Amino acid sequence: MARTRTTKKLAQRIDLNYFKRPTPLKRAKFWLSLLLPLLALVWIAERTIFKDSRVYSSGRLSEPHAVLEKECAVCHVQQAGAFSAKAADSACLDCHDGPSHHASQTPTPACATCHTEHRGRVNIAAASDQACAECHADLKASGNSARFASHIRSFEDGHPEFAALRSVADIHASDPGTIKLNHAIHMKPIRRSPNGPNVQLECGNCHRATSVDADLTYADPKYRAAAVSYSESDETLLARADTLGLPKPVSGRELMAPVKFANACAACHLLTFDKRFDEGVPHDKPEVIHAFLVRAFREYVAAHPAEVRVQRDPSRYLTGKALTPAVRILTPAQWVTERTAEAEDLLWRKTCKQCHALTPFTKASHRKIELPVTEGLDTGRLSGMPAELPEIAPANTTLKWMPHAKFDHGSHGGFTCVSCHAKALTSTDAGDILLPGIATCQTCHAPGPEHAESRCFECHTYHDWSRRKEVTPKFTLPTLRTSGR
Amino acid sequence: MRMDKTQRGWALVSLAILAISAVVYALYASESPHGPRGGSTIGFAFGIIGFAFVIFAALLGARKRVPTWRVGRAQAWMRGHLWLGFLALPMIFFHGGFHFGGTLTCVLMWLLIITVFSGVFGAVLQHYVPRVMTSDVPLETIYDEIGNVRSLLREEADRAYESLCGSLGLSNSSNREVQRAGGFTALRTIAASAVPLRTSAAVSAGASAAVAAAPEIILLSEEANAPLSRFYLDEMRPFLERPKQRGQRLANTDKARTVFSGLRTLLPAAAHVTLADLEDICDEARQLTRQQRLHRWLHGWLLLHIPLSLALILLGAIHAVMALRY
Repeated sequence: MARTRTTKKLAQRIDLNYFKRPTPLKRAKFWLSLLLPLLALVWIAERTIFKDSRVYSSGRLSEPHAVLEKECAVCHVQQAGAFSAKAADSACLDCHDGPSHHASQTPTPACATCHTEHRGRVNIAAASDQACAECHADLKASGNSARFASHIRSFEDGHPEFAALRSVADIHASDPGTIKLNHAIHMKPIRRSPNGPNVQLECGNCHRATSVDADLTYADPKYRAAAVSYSESDETLLARADTLGLPKPVSGRELMAPVKFANACAACHLLTFDKRFDEGVPHDKPEVIHAFLVRAFREYVAAHPAEVRVQRDPSRYLTGKALTPAVRILTPAQWVTERTAEAEDLLWRKTCKQCHALTPFTKASHRKIELPVTEGLDTGRLSGMPAELPEIAPANTTLKWMPHAKFDHGSHGGFTCVSCHAKALTSTDAGDILLPGIATCQTCHAPGPEHAESRCFECHTYHDWSRRKEVTPKFTLPTLRTSGR
Repeated sequence: MRMDKTQRGWALVSLAILAISAVVYALYASESPHGPRGGSTIGFAFGIIGFAFVIFAALLGARKRVPTWRVGRAQAWMRGHLWLGFLALPMIFFHGGFHFGGTLTCVLMWLLIITVFSGVFGAVLQHYVPRVMTSDVPLETIYDEIGNVRSLLREEADRAYESLCGSLGLSNSSNREVQRAGGFTALRTIAASAVPLRTSAAVSAGASAAVAAAPEIILLSEEANAPLSRFYLDEMRPFLERPKQRGQRLANTDKARTVFSGLRTLLPAAAHVTLADLEDICDEARQLTRQQRLHRWLHGWLLLHIPLSLALILLGAIHAVMALRY
């Protein structure tokens, strides 16, 4: 008889208490459910016993703070009696007393608003654009009008053209510098000195970063060695008072040094003043040049007494000018006076004026130098005539075109100068500002993986580090490395 | 639980919660100067919601332990466990801004991911495996009793064999008392030698003879029963004792059918009924093995899911407290 299955028969095979017996699966589930939470608890307890709070950290600290990874209490200061131990601004200010960038600024954000920690080994100084846009997206001016663009959200969104290039009331911005330089001419093959060969100048022949040794291809050792009476302030514009200080010391490769005559111009622009002399006048103030000329001619006439017999040179007299006698016999002093006047006439009207702006000097004053030598002169008075000399306008070379931003030429050293300063190739007017516009920067500095950093902090700094206060050190190395966590 | 149309309500509500949360998160992430953080107001809110979902999902275990609690239907709890437990993952991702953070938060994130995905894996298994079980294991029994049922099958097979070939000479009696379904206590197994026939006593005892008809005793000659003896002792009994051992022909349905067909040609017709019983016993044993395997798939993931979720809740609570502190 074949096997038969009925529900009753099948049920009879089942132990009613089967569910009370632990099966391997149930047993494993139970023990694992006990063991795993227990393991977690042991782990936390072990960390607590060893006073290691790192386990609760929401992420690794930024690179500059990595040394404090174990020192939670340095920033998370627990107030007496309170459970909370939040990182407070005071903890940041203990080490970094960075003043905000405007004294009148309201409100001043908390440190962590812009500098968020526990986000891994990131650049904590790199504040996000949104942090800046908190104010700059809708900037409220404390006065009648905002000095800055008031709707900047990012470099791409709302950032105006660089201030130095912006036109004001339809007047194009121009270089306040007074040195007359035609860049276009200098970028083409050009004759080196009146009788020299043609040369092709490179930007670097004249422009070098401040910490870099000057290129001496077109330098003159004599001028380099000579002491000058003018100062740096005569050459460069002082930094604006509201220029923000940088957080770190400058490397010297950020900005270009002012171009020096001795280093970059002297080889071509000879300051010759008389055919009797090979050397040129010093590259200095008119008084110094005048003294040099008087001295040079005195020494010359002393060495060449026959020179006092002066023959008229028809080629040097222009129509309308009173003729001097064909042959004149001068005293040495007269001769010196006359030659000095001639040399200065050449210098003030041509050589110096080619590059410098000279204050107009009157004919009258000039005539004093040209007093008829036959009438007799007080040589002592002639030799000291600085009151009648022209004044050379300060060069006003702008060293920092963007006082509210930082730029590092050193970081851009891989690019040719003209790839950014393209206007240098065509600029004929010394008033042209050859600073590249914002569009040039945005070619590379834009959001996205294939572009360079374009967030605000790349160029701007929030804190005015020039007003930083010194902090009192409070860590010792052994304490930092071994103390409680 | 099957993922069918009855889940639509929960699915739609969950999708709506997810969509709203995603929109809120996107807006919040784009407006946050330094990106989303768990400590911000919205990040914190996501954390609370996510942890609440985890807690709710975990309460299913408590609900199961105390089925008499009048706190909603078990099915609703199960659906809530499934959908809100799944939603806990995006909520916690939104909470952390998709960052894993420090050591504890990283551990928590991985615990959550593994717990949720083991749960999803379990839900998929719960959807498909019962159907496979129904089709592949019609003789399904209670999983915990498989061991007992298997030994009963072995005893039943022994008796069937002995009805043709005489005593096996095995002493497999047991005096363990167990309470059987039907509300009576009986000897669990009955020694074949003691009760060679299916007696009323044996039937009422409800032991190994539960499904077996009383075999007729048709003792075959030694020569006639030789193929059966060889097969039973060398192949079938080892299979019933160790069904999971590899390389056994009886473990495979087709091969087993071939083996029994061959035996039928070798044994007299009178033995064919008993032979059919033996084949039936082998089939049931095979199904029990299949059931065991399916059962492990069906419930094995819980070995990961439950302990990890408990650890997650414990560490999550610690994280919440310490995050409030720091």
